[in-house]
Amino acid sequence: MEKAIRTLFYFGPLLFAFGFLAPLIAQTITVMGWTPPFGLTPLHTGLIIGGALGLIAQFRGKWL
Amino acid sequence: MSAAQDLSQLSETELIRMEREIARKHIDKFPYLAVIWAFTNLAVWLALWPLVFMQLIPLWLAFIIATANVALSYLPSHEAQHDIIAKPGTKLRWLNQLVGHLSTIPLVLPYRVAKVTHMAHHKHANDPALDPDYSTHADGPIRAIWQSIKNRQPRAKGGFNAYGDMLTREGCQDVLLHGILYEITFYTIMFALAWNGFAIEAALLWWLPRHIGITYIHFYLSWAPHHPAKEQSRYRNTRSFRSILGNIGSMGMQYHIIHHLHPRIPLYRTPRAYWEMKPILEARGCDVEGL
Repeated sequence: MEKAIRTLFYFGPLLFAFGFLAPLIAQTITVMGWTPPFGLTPLHTGLIIGGALGLIAQFRGKWL
Repeated sequence: MSAAQDLSQLSETELIRMEREIARKHIDKFPYLAVIWAFTNLAVWLALWPLVFMQLIPLWLAFIIATANVALSYLPSHEAQHDIIAKPGTKLRWLNQLVGHLSTIPLVLPYRVAKVTHMAHHKHANDPALDPDYSTHADGPIRAIWQSIKNRQPRAKGGFNAYGDMLTREGCQDVLLHGILYEITFYTIMFALAWNGFAIEAALLWWLPRHIGITYIHFYLSWAPHHPAKEQSRYRNTRSFRSILGNIGSMGMQYHIIHHLHPRIPLYRTPRAYWEMKPILEARGCDVEGL
């Protein structure tokens, strides 16, 4: 149990990126009426940007 | 007692007697404001959700109100942590506990975590190793804000991570579990809202207000009253100060020294107790030059 919780929190940045940032970016793109490049959908864009930010935060141990 | 009175010639025993006499006048006053504040604040914050989802108020306005709600959510619980609303074994004890548990929901800070860590803060104020709030220490106001943000990074040593370390060190695993469950619940709600098309609403009603609220709380409830946080003695580990936002804008923290000396004095009585006690505090060598 403790190991599962530790693992969950260890991967917190990635979970946050895909669980929250990605749909937040997607919804923001839709609300603002922006068109993502390369024919990407807002959700794909959110997953790419959010995922990249999450990956960086996961390695650095900090978002800022 | 006039503020001009010089009490430095009085004995230790005499100063203690006078200080306790003043404190006694302010202890055991029922904090109506804190109780009304706790329930009203939570009700307003909860009401924002349906009001926004039904488009009855604009999201930008709800964001401002939610940010105020989160910033205001800690202090009623703080009164409960010190048993100011009702002591253990008294008739209104349930109200004390209810306020303690409910008021910090917007802050995602469980009452038991808040209470255990806050008692440790009182016991070890400004001790770099043992004060769980020491991580808010910084050289100036801008650095204090930045420090608060840094403390919330995933692998930070301070902030809530310092609370986790302290609870583990003290063997309070059950309390730590409360904190973990609160965090998991919070993020589960955030993720569920986000993936159901309400990410912006979740961000502006809870996630961002929580970050701003925590920064404000760290600044005014922890950094400002303890700055420069170098001394640990009873009369020197906190101070009085003048806030540019006034006493209400700093949520009563200008008189925080009274709270550390006599934690059972309700927040609304600390200004009066301070002015009555000030000559004693000066005689004690307290840092009371700010007010």
